[in-house]
Amino acid sequence: MLKFQAINFWGSITYLILALFVLPVIIIISSLFGEWSENWSHIYNFVLFDYVSNSILLVMGVTVVVFIIGVGTAWIITNYKFFGKNVLEWALILPLSVPPYILAYTFTGLFDTYGTANNLLRDLFNLQSDYAFFPNIRNIYGAIIVFSFTLYPYVYLVSRSAFLNQSQAMIEAARLLGLNKIQVFFKLAVPIIRPAIIGGIMLVSMETLSDFGAVDHFAIQTFTTGIFRTWYGMYDINTAMQLASMLLLFVGLFLILERYSRNNAIYTSKSSTFRPIKLTKLQGHQGGLAFLICFLPVFIGFILPILELSFWAFERNLNFFDYKFLITTQNTIILAITAGILCSIFALLVNYSIRFNKDNFSRHAGSLLSLGYAVPGLILAVGIVQLFTWLDATVFVTSEIVLTGSLIGLIFAYIIKSYALANSSIESGYERISSSIDDSARVLKSTGFDMLKRIHFPLLKTSFLTSTLLVISEVTKELPATLILRPFNFDTLAVSTYIYAAEERMMQASAPAIAIVMVGLIPIIILTKMIRTSRPGKRDYE
Amino acid sequence: MKNLYKIIFGTIISIFILNGTLADEVNIYTSRHYDSDDALYSEFTAETGIQVNIISGGGNALMERLKAEGKNSPADIFFTVDAGNLWRVQKEGYFKSIESENIKSIVPENLRGPNDEWVAIAKRARVIYYNPSVISPEEMKNLNYEDLSNSDWKGKIAIRGSSNMYNQSLVASLISKHGVNQTEDWARGLVSNFARKPQGNDRAQIMAVANGEATLAIANSYYVGIMLSGRSGEEQLAAAKKVKIHFPNQDNRGAHINISGAGILKNSPNHDNAIKFLEFLLSKKVQKYMVNLSYEYPILPGVEPHPSIASFGTEFIEDRTSVANYGKYNTDAVMLMDRAGWQ
Repeated sequence: MLKFQAINFWGSITYLILALFVLPVIIIISSLFGEWSENWSHIYNFVLFDYVSNSILLVMGVTVVVFIIGVGTAWIITNYKFFGKNVLEWALILPLSVPPYILAYTFTGLFDTYGTANNLLRDLFNLQSDYAFFPNIRNIYGAIIVFSFTLYPYVYLVSRSAFLNQSQAMIEAARLLGLNKIQVFFKLAVPIIRPAIIGGIMLVSMETLSDFGAVDHFAIQTFTTGIFRTWYGMYDINTAMQLASMLLLFVGLFLILERYSRNNAIYTSKSSTFRPIKLTKLQGHQGGLAFLICFLPVFIGFILPILELSFWAFERNLNFFDYKFLITTQNTIILAITAGILCSIFALLVNYSIRFNKDNFSRHAGSLLSLGYAVPGLILAVGIVQLFTWLDATVFVTSEIVLTGSLIGLIFAYIIKSYALANSSIESGYERISSSIDDSARVLKSTGFDMLKRIHFPLLKTSFLTSTLLVISEVTKELPATLILRPFNFDTLAVSTYIYAAEERMMQASAPAIAIVMVGLIPIIILTKMIRTSRPGKRDYE
Repeated sequence: MKNLYKIIFGTIISIFILNGTLADEVNIYTSRHYDSDDALYSEFTAETGIQVNIISGGGNALMERLKAEGKNSPADIFFTVDAGNLWRVQKEGYFKSIESENIKSIVPENLRGPNDEWVAIAKRARVIYYNPSVISPEEMKNLNYEDLSNSDWKGKIAIRGSSNMYNQSLVASLISKHGVNQTEDWARGLVSNFARKPQGNDRAQIMAVANGEATLAIANSYYVGIMLSGRSGEEQLAAAKKVKIHFPNQDNRGAHINISGAGILKNSPNHDNAIKFLEFLLSKKVQKYMVNLSYEYPILPGVEPHPSIASFGTEFIEDRTSVANYGKYNTDAVMLMDRAGWQ
């Protein structure tokens, strides 16, 4: 067993912060041990079945579609050369900057019976005034499309980097053994990167389950809308938190299953046999098809909503661009960057201590914290408010409120909310550092914090940056916690969008919405640059 | 990289300083958001020298923050739409009675909390929209909310989902009149008359009537004003020009009224400023200004609503039952709508 003394100081800080961060999640779950109100019999008798079945249907649908889009496009981009590939390679990540609720709003603006798209087609073909070309999208299938086309980049990102790490040698061997190209994809390439895909799909599912804005807009009765209906309509926040806890436990179960399936497999290839994948050039209609397949997700998830939002913004005129708008943008950027860096540092420390201590406390607490991502934002925010006011009362012992309504509190909340994102990329980065590197470092007398700083951190630079960027893009979009926890007179872009969108005043909402997408684009552009410069097969530690 | 950190943390600290609040201030938690609000607050500061600090957000979330902050809360005023929300804050005991004869003389008793814990700042009616080229005003005459469950209206009524608080308040008001059982029968009838699955906001229902997807739409009164202003595009303007408002229950208790309102919190650190602010909101100038932008009806007698909303009629009978009832029966209303299959 290796000595861990040098990191004790850091270790205990990590423990402390971890314990603190997990508390809001525990506060929410503890509602299960409180009183069960009589409203439960009503929920059980009349609505629970719909909530559960719709949520399951939604998540299953989204899982299938993001799998097809994310893995399919990643495979095409990794293995083929065709017209537009260099652009599509990074453009495929762009939809990540569009929050699902914004896509939902633009979709109804486009495809409702009297939406922009239907109007356009009617004018074009001189159709009857009540003829709708596009089917109604305010239903579960519409929601599946909305979530899939905004969230698939999580799967695309992980699949792409996993495919890049596959060796040409392996694929050639498979072809020699008689597998055709399609079989190689289904029987070899995909099964090998399974852990990465499942990890990406877990993120997508958690975000789908916790979303309120999009499903509410489409009027679909999911678990989350049920939670809010119980809270807002039945005035029963306790039952709402119990419902949220059940959702959490359900997601927790899946996280455990995922971990279990991952533990049984180690997927690294020895560098000596590694050869980068050779690109096949596609021409003619094959190239056109590849282009179309990769362009469609970008079009639906990014270009279309931006077009519609710009259309609204210009119809409305451009007086939104004032001093207040600049301050709001500045607030958003600074908060996002701060939260991104701190959250990644924190995820790094936690993963480091798990790696060395075989530390069960950190491991379990870390998983619990990842669950924060699956809690509907407002419910998590309530847990955080309760924690903060308790801390203010007991730890800071002042009559003034320190954490609640301060920027520190807000950043704290962002870290809890987006830890799962940071952890996913840091954890997979660590999985790719072979333990022999640790052994060599130890021989060279580098242990503890020194090893983290001098050996791991340089190797994990890409993962660290990815994690920071993912968190930044998440924080830019974050709404519920910001709304309830922010200081007086402090707006972010998501808040300005919400204020209008809540009343479906999309014309006014479109300017800040475009700004959210633009700010969210900055980290994504950096991310894509990283992907482009990472040569196929090149790993963090080479 | 080091410079980047410096810039980031420097800016954060400067934000802290910029957000430092002044001594003479009033702190408002609000779930009402209008572009014009900023101008209103500056006006108040100019008049009184009192700085206005705002947090806007969902009423329910702000209430949880209030609860958690307890007696340390910096909030002076809680400002929200829907009487049900105000009733809840009052029931939890976070408001104190507003002791200003001036305010009490302006706001009628049915638009205040039971012990004057909160007061209405503006009001709106939940009315029925129709297209006079499809159905004549004569046929609409004497139509009550209660009649909407008649099978004559099968496939003809547009209304939004039951998660919407305006619908919950409407149903709660019916419960306070007729009791749960009778109202549940009514809701079942209404659901079977729906022209389509409930979807979209109030404006979408008005659009449905204008487009002929439905014959009647239930929606709040001010929406047609917003649509007529052209602020939300040509299409909504064109649709709004086609419709008329019917005020229900005119030969009995009157049209359903709901409010935007505010209360002063028990632990308000700037109590006197809070009173001043509410008086300011109820002053003639501000009432005029507010209703001109929001298309609501004013509380202060002698102030006219915006001309475009006044053109639909101002001399209608209002339901005078206390709006506090909406909160009381809200849970029953939600459960009832669940049972009736109102999505």
